[in-house]
Amino acid sequence: MIKAAVAFLPAQGPISSYVFYNTLQALEHLPFDEAVRRGADLYHCEPYLSEDRYHRELQSGRITAEDLNSVLLDDLGDLADQLVGFMGTRFHLRLAMLEYPLRVGSEHELRWLISDTDALRRFRPETPPAVRVQMIDDTRRWLERDLSNGSTKVDSWTKQQVKSVLKEYGHDQNDSWNDSTWESVTLQCLWSICLHGARTMAPPSEPEPCPIRHHDLLLKATDRNADGLVHATLIRFCAAFLDQGLASWTLPQRDLGFWKSFHELYKSGRGKHPWQNRLASELHRIDDAGLTIDETIDQLLSQLGVAPEERLDFITQTLLALRGWAGMIWQMETNAEWAVRPAPAGTLKEFLAVRLLLDRLSIEWLYADMTGRHVPAAELRVRLRELCPKEPPEHYEQQAYLLFQLAQIRGWSPKDLAHMSPTTWTVLIGEINAFNNEERRRIYHQAYERRYCDHILDSLAARARLKASQPSKPRPRPTWQLVTCIDDREESFRRHLEEVDPLGETYSAAGFFAVAMYFKSAADAHFKPLCPAVMKPSHYVTEQPAYSLTESARSRRDARRLLGNASHQWHLSSRSFLGGIVTAALGSLATAPLVARVLFPHLTAKLTRLFDGLVQPPAVTELQLYRDDDPPGPEGDHLGYTRDEMAGIVLRILQDIGLTKNFSRIVMIVGHGSSSLNNPHESSYHCGACGCARGGPNARAFAQMANDPHVRKRLVEKGLVIPDDTIFVGCYHNTCNEDVDYFDLNAIPRSHRPQFEEVRRVIDAARLRNAHERCRRFQSASLSITPEQALEHVQTRAEDLSQPRPEYDHATNAIQVIGRRELTRDLYLDRRAFVTSYDPTADDEDGTILARISGAAIPVCTGINLQFFFSTIDPVGYGCGSKLPHNIVSLLGVMEGAASDLRPWLYSQVVEIHEPVRILTVIEQTPEVVLKLMAGNPAIDQQIRNYWTYLVTIDPQTREMHIFQDGEFRPYKPRPVKLPQRSSSIEWYRGQRDNLACAYIPTIPDPVTPKAEVEVA
Amino acid sequence: MDQAVLFHDLGVIVLLMPALLMAILGLTALLGRPLSESTMAGITAGSVIVGMSAAIGILILMLITGVRRVPVELGNWVAIPHQHYHFHLQFVFDRLSVPFTIVSFVLVGTVGAFANRYLHRERGYGRFFLLYALFLLGMIVASLAGTIETLFVGWEFVGLSSALLVAYFHERPMPVINGFRVWAIYRVADAAFLIAAVALHHLTGEGTFAGLMGTGAWPEGHAALTPHQALFVGLLLLVAAAGKSGLVPFSGWLPRAMEGPTPSSAVFYGALSVHLGTYLLLRVSPILEISFWLSAAVVVLGLISALFGTLAGRVQSDAKSALAFASLTQVGIITAEIGLGLRYIALIHMIGHACLRTLQLLRAPSLLRDYHTLENAIGGRLNHGESAWENRLPSSLRIRLYRFAFSRGYFDATIDSVIVRPFVQFFQWCNRQERRWTNLLTGTRPELANQRTVVADNKEETE
Repeated sequence: MIKAAVAFLPAQGPISSYVFYNTLQALEHLPFDEAVRRGADLYHCEPYLSEDRYHRELQSGRITAEDLNSVLLDDLGDLADQLVGFMGTRFHLRLAMLEYPLRVGSEHELRWLISDTDALRRFRPETPPAVRVQMIDDTRRWLERDLSNGSTKVDSWTKQQVKSVLKEYGHDQNDSWNDSTWESVTLQCLWSICLHGARTMAPPSEPEPCPIRHHDLLLKATDRNADGLVHATLIRFCAAFLDQGLASWTLPQRDLGFWKSFHELYKSGRGKHPWQNRLASELHRIDDAGLTIDETIDQLLSQLGVAPEERLDFITQTLLALRGWAGMIWQMETNAEWAVRPAPAGTLKEFLAVRLLLDRLSIEWLYADMTGRHVPAAELRVRLRELCPKEPPEHYEQQAYLLFQLAQIRGWSPKDLAHMSPTTWTVLIGEINAFNNEERRRIYHQAYERRYCDHILDSLAARARLKASQPSKPRPRPTWQLVTCIDDREESFRRHLEEVDPLGETYSAAGFFAVAMYFKSAADAHFKPLCPAVMKPSHYVTEQPAYSLTESARSRRDARRLLGNASHQWHLSSRSFLGGIVTAALGSLATAPLVARVLFPHLTAKLTRLFDGLVQPPAVTELQLYRDDDPPGPEGDHLGYTRDEMAGIVLRILQDIGLTKNFSRIVMIVGHGSSSLNNPHESSYHCGACGCARGGPNARAFAQMANDPHVRKRLVEKGLVIPDDTIFVGCYHNTCNEDVDYFDLNAIPRSHRPQFEEVRRVIDAARLRNAHERCRRFQSASLSITPEQALEHVQTRAEDLSQPRPEYDHATNAIQVIGRRELTRDLYLDRRAFVTSYDPTADDEDGTILARISGAAIPVCTGINLQFFFSTIDPVGYGCGSKLPHNIVSLLGVMEGAASDLRPWLYSQVVEIHEPVRILTVIEQTPEVVLKLMAGNPAIDQQIRNYWTYLVTIDPQTREMHIFQDGEFRPYKPRPVKLPQRSSSIEWYRGQRDNLACAYIPTIPDPVTPKAEVEVA
Repeated sequence: MDQAVLFHDLGVIVLLMPALLMAILGLTALLGRPLSESTMAGITAGSVIVGMSAAIGILILMLITGVRRVPVELGNWVAIPHQHYHFHLQFVFDRLSVPFTIVSFVLVGTVGAFANRYLHRERGYGRFFLLYALFLLGMIVASLAGTIETLFVGWEFVGLSSALLVAYFHERPMPVINGFRVWAIYRVADAAFLIAAVALHHLTGEGTFAGLMGTGAWPEGHAALTPHQALFVGLLLLVAAAGKSGLVPFSGWLPRAMEGPTPSSAVFYGALSVHLGTYLLLRVSPILEISFWLSAAVVVLGLISALFGTLAGRVQSDAKSALAFASLTQVGIITAEIGLGLRYIALIHMIGHACLRTLQLLRAPSLLRDYHTLENAIGGRLNHGESAWENRLPSSLRIRLYRFAFSRGYFDATIDSVIVRPFVQFFQWCNRQERRWTNLLTGTRPELANQRTVVADNKEETE
């Protein structure tokens, strides 16, 4: 039973190896909209952005009325044209509710609106003037003529109300009323009629469901917070139990397991907290009875009065009450055998038992404290449930106010409403209820996404037309080729590289380059996995100082060890009694690093590096990559890969990206990672395809494999000929400070060095440009910054202790494109696209290569996208809130402030510029092949069929587009748009902070580009 | 220029700068014309630099001229002649206040620069810097105060800004609850302080430290009190200092104060705020000399706090609480040093500790990376003190001691059940009686099942 509940817990492990995955993974079997609704109920989170936010987007033009129209029409289908009373069609009613910001709030807010604003005196500003005039005239005539002489058929109550309104304004002088008085009178009448209608005609609604947990019941009834008591103890205990070495004194008897160590700690002595008075005796009672943990849980559940059929729900809710810690316990129990102190199997169960016991005691104590009577928890639950409101809450005022606003927009006069039959009223109110806040947000959100998807697809189509109009020339040998990760942050890097030197080519593959390995660098103490989180590597690779430098490496290692021990001692003693005195006496010296680091981060970092350079391992190192002995293992000759395995890896990647001929003389392989200070979430910035670690070693290993003549020979046997004058160079791109480090430069033959220098210059130029493009997003960087200043700015960000936004991570992701570079080359995609190289013409008709690529790329990209999506939608519920009060706990994760639930997922500073849209997956392949891919991969199939991602195919030959909808591919007709043309990226983004549309940035000037397609710059 | 005038002018600048900062940030916020982030940062940096330069100027002048005590009078504000009461703002620059002022400027200034980037784009940026200015003003006023009333003014500013900064994230419940708790403890300290101030007035007729300590400049002054008077006043001041510095039994608020943004936790609770209590003890150290028992009490309280801090710090498994208790250890030792009469050592210790702890707290989010770097340098897992002394204790004692440290000495729980609960219950009882009485008078029947009438204070919610 606990297993079923576990699925709903956060699946993030220790923060030092971050994992991106769909936050609502547990609900992935449901269609997206249903899942977000379920998620909202389950986690008490928001399903979409707020209605206000969508209104702002509507005003700013990010959503257009046209989008709303078409989304609403699609959503309603045949129901769109149904008439709702005399009020027009359902479509028009709903559109009116979407187009104008309808104010809905709590009862109190409404009362304030009614009494203290001019809501009942002036029409809403959106009311068209003609409607306003007509409505006032209509009402005037109705009041003066029909109502006073009794020739109208309205019920007496309405008549009464209207008369009292008239009286209030001095009925006798109505001849002298001016326009604005009539406006007030009209609105007052309208309001009382709406109020009356909503009160008497509203269909009955459901009562709110009664909460299932004792805590929620008690909180609802009395404001007493039982979880507050329990969590204060439980959070601290969980932290101590899971601690990986932060506390110097570990929990005694930790090895006995969660329940036992809790028992040991609390079995003796009366708790000083009155609510824990009975804890020791209860623990003894359970211990004496010799119950197993399952029996204990069983017994506690019965004591809490939970019936067998509601147990799953109850346990789920109970675990979710402290979901971060519960989730971490599960991760440490099942998925962290590499950790210093993993949790033993069954810990979560024991956690549940402890929790249930504490829940019971706290609830009973709180009730006894309030009433002076001790009541067992089971009975208490029955009593509290009786206090649960049986009547549905009355919403009629809100409904009336909605109606009131709609009437003004749609021009329903008081007379019209007063004459409406009870059936029409019921229909109307039912209609408004059906299109509630959540439904409206759903439609808004679809429009919000459609705007973006359409724009991208139209731009891709326009780009393809431009391409088709260009004469295809035979390709000369490229000056260089460069393979990056598919990461969205590399999109701009690639674009700038191609802009700097149009004769080069870029490719991209998942950044571990098929080298799934455990890796230990020369400075590392432990192996760490470098591959996607879903894989378990079987190979081990180490880095060693170059053989000639062994001696110097050894002395440096000793120096490092000495310094390490010294600083560890300093760390410990600054917290101890006597050591503290010494360290504090020297503490004034800390002012120097403190002031230097905060005021001059860049300079300090330079100095630190200088010093580190003295003790770091020598810069020249080598990988132990070639293995002779089977099987692969972490020691001696078992390290590394055999040449056959290497050939397999190289062949696979080159086939995947479609680089099998026309090799340039230099092929760069670029892994990536990031560096930042004071950032517990640092690992989330690294390469997702390397399990959120730095991907440099993978690139280096791949390049070495591809350079190996034995491997090349084996490749020739498999039909892949790499020219002898082609060399591969591995390098590492730091996406935060834009540094690029090159590996194994000594191995570059003299013949290639001039050309390598050339490539290096291109990369340096691209680094400057890339830094500059990134800086437009940082408010603290001026928009008029030069590229050189921009580079220094991003470097400072990476070295600044006080910087909560060293970079924006994947915050701009929105699409992924799997296809040839021609699809996206020369297209400004604003760092929003994961771009995966794939040559459909080289694939077989079953899409073998596509299946191979997508198996890693699609889940990684949708995982990143959806985690950003949810953390943006609800930064507190689906994210870890603001970074500012974060507090590292147990070396496993962060809490907010002094003690809180463990907070998984992303923090608000990194998602602040994110546009929450589901990722648009574009695959250059025919629908048939993609259907085969889906059939072969149930996980991807499920995500696509349930709309966790949008899927579009582009036919490799005809360039026709198909979009996946309602279980099938339907043709998508791109609108003919003009792509703005600029000569370089900077021309397009200069002076802009926000997301930008696509632009055409031709890198090879082409005279035959038709003028009609290109807007003149 | 006349030396005295120069001293006076520099002194005024030191005081004026934080006041001006506070006034500018406060007024613009009050008038609904909030400044931009960069303007605020600029003004803050400017005022801190000017104020600090003036303070350093005074230090240099003092070193050159050999003057060891410079009083700055800013006028008599309230005078009640027949009660022999004057409230005059007097500030003193001496060997105690000048170093402490300079350190305050350095740390607050650095943290200001830090916070400027750390809180960039934060909605509460303006609020943070306003409270920051209030804190700086309070810190400077309190450290330079020449009368006990002036010290109290600065002390209150610090208390108010600290409590509000703990509750900085007021949209979540825990910061507010904890901020409230800090505030409540500060009130107790304030009450003790006020009573002590009144008692001093009563005993000596005035509140200036000069009158209290004779003519000698700190630390050479001698108080004109009898040992019994000194013990009485001194104990009250000790309570005040214990509350402010989080000494036993008030230490519960220290880890709770880590709710605010990291920079505020660093400078306020890790570095400066916690030292204000010990600073008070240093200021009135001549009183301690008079009474042996008072000195003994200070030493004992200091040592108990230090031991407790060490013990509790060892079991904390989150970065900020561990640092909070590490601070407590040192503050306890400083207190003990003051009790032993080691005033200069205490001052040096205090300043060194403040700087070190600020750096450590600002770097608290780097902890994971630091551990990783250390592991790599050492080439293996870190030894977390497994061979420590606790392991040599008998198992039952070890568990009991662990639980004592784990429950943070039960201090909060004890305060809750011994003081807060009876207090709250008494007023709830009053509330019920009043309700009954009004019901009787108005003739309404008491509502039977209305549970909400017993809504209690939320204070017991947390340990």
